[in-house]
Amino acid sequence: MIVAEQKKLDEILRMVAPYERVLILGCGTCVTVCGAGGEHEVSYLHNALKVAQRKSGNGTHALSEYTLKRQCDPEFLDMLAGRVEDVDAVLSLACGIGVQAVSERFRQLPVLPGVNTSFMGMPKEWGIWDERCAACGDCRLAETGGICPITRCTKGILNGPCAGTKSGKCEASREMDCAWVQIYQRLEGLRQLDSMRRYYPPRNFRVIPRPRRIVAKSTAGGNDGQVAA
Amino acid sequence: MSSATAGGIRTQTETRPKKAPCDHSLMPPCQVACPLHMDIREYVDLTAQGRIMEALQVIRDGNPFPSICAHVCTHPCEDACRRGQVDAPIAIRAVKRFAVEFGGDRMIRPEAETSHEQKVAVVGSGPAGLACAYYLRKLGYPVTIFEAHSELGGMLRVGIPQYRLPREVLDTEIHRLTSMGVEIRTNARVVSIDLLLEMGYRAVFLTIGAHQGLKMGIEGEDSPGVIDGATFLREVNLGLKPSLGEKVAVVGGGNVAIDAARTAVRLGVKQVKVLYRRSRAEMPANEEEVSQAEEEGIAMVFLAAPTRVRRRDGHLEVTCIRMELGEPDAGGRRQPVPVPGSEFQERLDALITAIGQAPQAPGSFGVRLGRGSTIQVDPVTMTTNRAGVFAGGDAVTGPATVVEALAAGRRAATRISDYLQHRYPLPEKEALDSLAGDLRPETVEAIRKIGRFEWETAPAEARAQDFAPIDLVYDWQAAISEARRCLRCGMGAEILAQDRCATCLTCLRVCPYHVPQLDQAGSVQIPVDQCQACGVCVVECPARAIVLRKPHDRRHIDRELDHIVQTAVQSNTKPLVIGFCCQYGLFGTGSLAGLWRKAAGGISIVPVLCTARVEADHMLRAFEAGAEGVFIAGCGVQCARENTDFWVQQRIAKVRRTLAQLQLEPERLQFFTTTAGGNGDMGQRLEAFAERIGTLYLASVLIQEVQK
Repeated sequence: MIVAEQKKLDEILRMVAPYERVLILGCGTCVTVCGAGGEHEVSYLHNALKVAQRKSGNGTHALSEYTLKRQCDPEFLDMLAGRVEDVDAVLSLACGIGVQAVSERFRQLPVLPGVNTSFMGMPKEWGIWDERCAACGDCRLAETGGICPITRCTKGILNGPCAGTKSGKCEASREMDCAWVQIYQRLEGLRQLDSMRRYYPPRNFRVIPRPRRIVAKSTAGGNDGQVAA
Repeated sequence: MSSATAGGIRTQTETRPKKAPCDHSLMPPCQVACPLHMDIREYVDLTAQGRIMEALQVIRDGNPFPSICAHVCTHPCEDACRRGQVDAPIAIRAVKRFAVEFGGDRMIRPEAETSHEQKVAVVGSGPAGLACAYYLRKLGYPVTIFEAHSELGGMLRVGIPQYRLPREVLDTEIHRLTSMGVEIRTNARVVSIDLLLEMGYRAVFLTIGAHQGLKMGIEGEDSPGVIDGATFLREVNLGLKPSLGEKVAVVGGGNVAIDAARTAVRLGVKQVKVLYRRSRAEMPANEEEVSQAEEEGIAMVFLAAPTRVRRRDGHLEVTCIRMELGEPDAGGRRQPVPVPGSEFQERLDALITAIGQAPQAPGSFGVRLGRGSTIQVDPVTMTTNRAGVFAGGDAVTGPATVVEALAAGRRAATRISDYLQHRYPLPEKEALDSLAGDLRPETVEAIRKIGRFEWETAPAEARAQDFAPIDLVYDWQAAISEARRCLRCGMGAEILAQDRCATCLTCLRVCPYHVPQLDQAGSVQIPVDQCQACGVCVVECPARAIVLRKPHDRRHIDRELDHIVQTAVQSNTKPLVIGFCCQYGLFGTGSLAGLWRKAAGGISIVPVLCTARVEADHMLRAFEAGAEGVFIAGCGVQCARENTDFWVQQRIAKVRRTLAQLQLEPERLQFFTTTAGGNGDMGQRLEAFAERIGTLYLASVLIQEVQK
């Protein structure tokens, strides 16, 4: 799931400063799960902004709040139509996708990001999230015992461990496990250590064509039973 | 909630329902077990908050004579209490007794106006008759009670010994009835119902009790020196002092047997034995009463029964036989079987037989009798075979409890009113579904163990001397501490709208009791029979999909905060300090509440029912409303729940980070808790906090002036 973190309040305050009427827009999916932009956080931010206004003494913003089930689907965004007419900006607490989706749907409206979209990951426990996937587009987890070296090794090397590993920890941080030691141990348990002995040629991430697009649907052919690829 | 439809969209304003939200709570086991279905959970909770007057109000709503029940109720509620699965059940009767005595029940004078013409006669003034008269009077009927004895109360007066129910308690309740306008005819034994009907009574309620002691059916049973328990208790209670001699045995294992034995001790009998034909486990008498009797020196002889009585030289020669337990009967109780050749002799001065009682309805009543000469009634309408004649209480059920009789009396009043108003008697509806199911072992494991707070009982030697009441009432602190142990069964959290739930599993991770679970379909369920209503998941849910089942709990803090803010704005208090203070336990006793009032500056208190329910949002809103300082005051180690402080600290840390980003001093938000020994130096800490806020406020005013 996408994990995000709410931006610092002073940055948010600077962003919203030019606008009088601001809609704080939450998203009910990923950012709700990671506690960055669900209904709870929308309400908290709303209150925090009001405290800020009270403190500065120039309460000029008219704030409103609203939470969509998902901001990254146009059909959900249709539900916003009546609500954005009388606002000057939308402060979206969705991930970067949601912010862009709202912006694309309501082109006349400034859409401000309220969170920093951080990574794709999972919770370690309540209140702690870890990155797990880099969306590299070429998954090799079958060969690495289900542990991704690209996200979990600081260097992201494909043939590890490097010389910086010590007692199973990474040289970059003693708190951090060396991903390649973990891969080794996992493969050992799976009796697949021969995977370690293979060499994986370096990948050129620069050639990934961006933006990527996945086309699942086919272009329909004629009525003669043929389907174009 | 309609706003939570597809799309899951809503605004803050839409979260406030226009009409009163539904009560989704379930009826807790205590209330289900109570024949009167009293709202026990509610009055125990109010007691835990120190709101004794309100607790008494709830008690009075469900029980016409709470002070009687507070003394003698067999408390089936406590047997059903699920706290018993954790450590020991809540001492519900003792809590009620505290509420009744400290809430000023004596002062309450219910009023009734006559709004109907049809007169009703109540035959018998036991608990069923009194309750029926009370409720009929409340419904506006002229009621006359006919009592054969010289004083009202039935078994309450002639059956229950004074040490269990002081007579002034009974007199107070009866006086309440007369002041409501119930007509009383004592020394008036009714022999003919026809006469009553001729006298103009349109309905008759027969509640003549079960006063006739059953015979053992053994040789010599009618010898002088053998007396039945009900008669014995009646004589003592009516002021006679039967001379029993020095050695007395009571036959039977019920409450009457125990009452008779303890009464005999109090009359000065040196040696009292109870002979019971089964073992202790099968004894129908209240366990507490049995152990108290033993403390008073009464010997329990189990698996023994008399077979023959002979009077010789002014003594009784009683032949007894040993029993052993055989096969269980239809009711599941193991039947006693005599052991051949195990006879033994007892030399006694008196033998009291208390093996059961039966009603004694005169044949002239013309009502159909059933098993054990009980009066036969329709269980729903409570009507006998005669038109306009209703019956209830022990006369119908055989010997039962006070609370069952009160329930029968109340039901009869409704049924009689239905009859007189030509209404079809609808079956009684339960407002809420009842909660069933035991606590899971992992839930029990996670619940903080707090033993029962025992009330003082007079020492056995002292209490065996006279008929003075023996249960001493709780003091203020013990009552509140006991009430706080309540697990609040059936009023926990629920996911109000599954479609708003993001299935983030936060609730699973934060619940101190491991209650929420994922079902096979991948949805989160919060089993209502396990939830402890702590409120942690409600506050932590990032989608705000979880609410507490009781509407009152849902927006309680918001409402209180709004109220405080309004008041503060009107009074223009500066600097304003807002405190969210737990209302349970010590805070409810008023001893801590005094601290806030004493503290310097304007401190406004938002009462909360456990600090675990205070959201980070609430704290921010207090600042937004103009508070210069905000504090949370909780019970700390004395909290009856788990992990409360941890969650409060998490939220405080979050708000402090926000405050820092707004260039507000994080110290403006503080957390105070009581310590194990009491409130510690909380008063001083609060004083220091208020002072510090005052300084910060002055500084900010100065800076503003300088900037101008």
